[in-house]
Amino acid sequence: MTIVRKLVPYVIAIIASFAAAGIFIALTGANVFQAYETILFTSFRTPNGFVQTLLKFIPLTLQALAFTIPLTAGKFNMGGEGQMIVGAIAASVVGILGADLPAVILLPLVVLAGVAAGAIWGFIPAWLLYKFNINEILTSMLLNFVSFQIIDLVATGALRDPVAGHPTTVQIGQGGFLPMLIKNPPLNAGLILALLVAAGVYLYTTRTTGGYELVATGANPRAAAVFGINVKRMFVFSIVLAGAIAGLSGVIEVAGVQHRLIVGLQHNFLVLGVIIALISRGNNLAVPFVAFFIAILEIGASAMQRTMNVPIEMVFIVEALVLLFVLLSDVFRRR
Amino acid sequence: MEKEAILELRNIRKVFDKNVALDSVSFSLYPGEIHGLLGGNGAGKTTLMNVLYGLYRRDDGDINFHGQKLNIQGPKDAITHGIGMVHQHFLQIGSYTVLENIVLGTDVSHPVTMKLSAEAQKIIDLGNRFRLPVDPNAVVDTLPVGTRQKVEILKALYRGVEVLILDEPTTNLTPQEVDDLFESLRVIVNEGLSIVFITHKLREVLHVCDRITVLREGRNITSLTRAEASEEIFVRAMVGDQMKIEGSVYFSHGSMANTAVDESAIPALEMHDVGLKTKEGISRLAGLNFQIRQGELFGVAGVAGNGQRELAECVTGVVIPTEGKILMKGEDVTGVSVCELLKDWISYIPEDRLHDGFLPKANVAQNLILGYHRQKPYCEGSFIKWDTVYDKVRGYIGEYKIKTNGPEDPGGNLSGGNIQRVMIARAFSMNSHMMVAHNPTRGLDIPSMDFVYNKMLERKETGASTLLISEDLDELLLICDRIAVLYRGQIVGILDRKDFDKYAIGRLMSGIQAEETADLRAAS
Repeated sequence: MTIVRKLVPYVIAIIASFAAAGIFIALTGANVFQAYETILFTSFRTPNGFVQTLLKFIPLTLQALAFTIPLTAGKFNMGGEGQMIVGAIAASVVGILGADLPAVILLPLVVLAGVAAGAIWGFIPAWLLYKFNINEILTSMLLNFVSFQIIDLVATGALRDPVAGHPTTVQIGQGGFLPMLIKNPPLNAGLILALLVAAGVYLYTTRTTGGYELVATGANPRAAAVFGINVKRMFVFSIVLAGAIAGLSGVIEVAGVQHRLIVGLQHNFLVLGVIIALISRGNNLAVPFVAFFIAILEIGASAMQRTMNVPIEMVFIVEALVLLFVLLSDVFRRR
Repeated sequence: MEKEAILELRNIRKVFDKNVALDSVSFSLYPGEIHGLLGGNGAGKTTLMNVLYGLYRRDDGDINFHGQKLNIQGPKDAITHGIGMVHQHFLQIGSYTVLENIVLGTDVSHPVTMKLSAEAQKIIDLGNRFRLPVDPNAVVDTLPVGTRQKVEILKALYRGVEVLILDEPTTNLTPQEVDDLFESLRVIVNEGLSIVFITHKLREVLHVCDRITVLREGRNITSLTRAEASEEIFVRAMVGDQMKIEGSVYFSHGSMANTAVDESAIPALEMHDVGLKTKEGISRLAGLNFQIRQGELFGVAGVAGNGQRELAECVTGVVIPTEGKILMKGEDVTGVSVCELLKDWISYIPEDRLHDGFLPKANVAQNLILGYHRQKPYCEGSFIKWDTVYDKVRGYIGEYKIKTNGPEDPGGNLSGGNIQRVMIARAFSMNSHMMVAHNPTRGLDIPSMDFVYNKMLERKETGASTLLISEDLDELLLICDRIAVLYRGQIVGILDRKDFDKYAIGRLMSGIQAEETADLRAAS
């Protein structure tokens, strides 16, 4: 009963946003219902479509969690993108330099390097916050730009693949590839990692004492501190953990999908991650479900662009409207 | 009374969401009377007056003023009709002078040059007439609470009100200031004005009011003149039938037997020259030296803002004193974290429940284990045993009468009084040698206050001590074994129960005689 009641605003928001977006689609001269059909069902029509959706789902879930974990403690990590990029860079560098190592050694090294790099990228704003009380929104976001320069440097430097037309490194060693769950269409084990992380985060925040302290810190840092919780440490921990998870999403892009470092691998993941996190209202359990929904929209949108010439940006409008309507439903419920 | 009522409220009804705050309440006010509006917290006293003052819109009922129907849209309407209200929390601009605060929002004679000498003279005249002497050129921030209240009353009189509503005017006043206030009120009504006096303190009402209306749970129970009624009638009207008055601490006049404390045992708490300075070097606490014995209920009195909060936070370990040592049962606990102290040593009811003690975004269960979440039986290893927590929490909800839908109800749904019950339930839920309770009964109705007093007195039997810091002097006089008075961060006197004297404590609270007492202590 309560779950149904919680879902009602989402359903209304989705219907309302599709209706509103329909007006824009109609203005471009396309068939509105055909466009809807493409957006919603491309993911389920072919095995390839479904796998593509899952491949989107992985980084979206991880990026959204990289936002919700600090949000639970009342902090905003706007650096998921940069943390993903440095994670990808570290994973590729280790994967290329250690190309000759066997998989049992190389794969864990690749994963660890990426996760650690992401964590370090999260630790910088966290430490600045801890030590000097510098706003983490600003610092984490600015570090994204630093990561853009680093990836350019790495992808056009010594590890560059001279054959490729786009700034790209050479392939990482075979031993660094994530195992495949399905060969064709290719689906890598990153899916399992992402689901494990999502489940782990949920269990951590709801069942453990540490997770309780995280929730208490976010609910009222002053009261949490008065009752013995080291809130500054919780801030640091939450942002570092978020960085590690974002780093993992970079690892999966490199070791699971591309097998090399490509400039621009971050797509729109940061913004989408924030949107997913906010549509979920920071609820870690809801994140994977919302991420899956957004992945469907993303895949459907590119199909719509290919087959119907409706610009892919249309789907951003839908996503933005869903978020807007979900947030609006909060306002109405309070009335 | 044969006189015509100047003001009549008939069958006023006010509903917040689903809560009926006022259920056809009627109230009448005669010219030249002080009318006490008595009731526990949540009885609807303030709501009723806010309806009259135009802060809330009534859902039903009539207001008649001078025999005419009145439709008040807002406080401005109320003031133009001659109804003024003094709120519990003053609405004053601290950096302005008394004069500027009073004329703010009124038409002045020289609006361009802001020459206010005529207005100043008017204020001085009003002050003399009503025995509310205030220097119009003093800056409000520099004035004591008692004087700031006079400013607030002058503000209403300056606007020419006929009816003055005072909401809990004696909170934070010393007994001397209370007497002054009552004298002024008498002068004001002798001039033909009428006063509504909102309070939960029975003794004050009996002392100063001509007629008394008792509200309980949003209904008016009775209206009587003072001469007509005995204290017992009002007590019964205030609390209803659910409460046994015979066994009550609240109505006991402080006559309950105090079990003797064991003076030979190691003191539960020893403060040695404890001082606290802010980063800027401003002294908040200085040279605190006192001991609390095992099983003792030790009170700290003082006007708010004299270091009470800092004292509570030093003892609980929330802040570390910059000077001195704190010992508990002989063990040095200076600098030990709250987290450690909450294991067996202390329990804490913070003063500012919303900021310092409550998680509005978390649920009731999460709120009730805050600080104890790493202790058994709530956790096992690094996991919280929510089943056990929920079981326990359901028990607390029943025992402490927390009005909520259950352990998973969001904290933000609770009312102020229920949040306070959560604070109390949490502090009493685990054993502690030393309880630090800062204004623990604020926002509670009388049966709940009584419940808290009983719980505190029970602690004495097990040898557990309590540090009760309260702005309510009556509360301290009622249950404490000793009372220390805090003034500007220093203890200016400690009185034994046999020496309790309201006025002596009041003098200490206002800093008078601080030196004399120091001499006395040195002499003894």
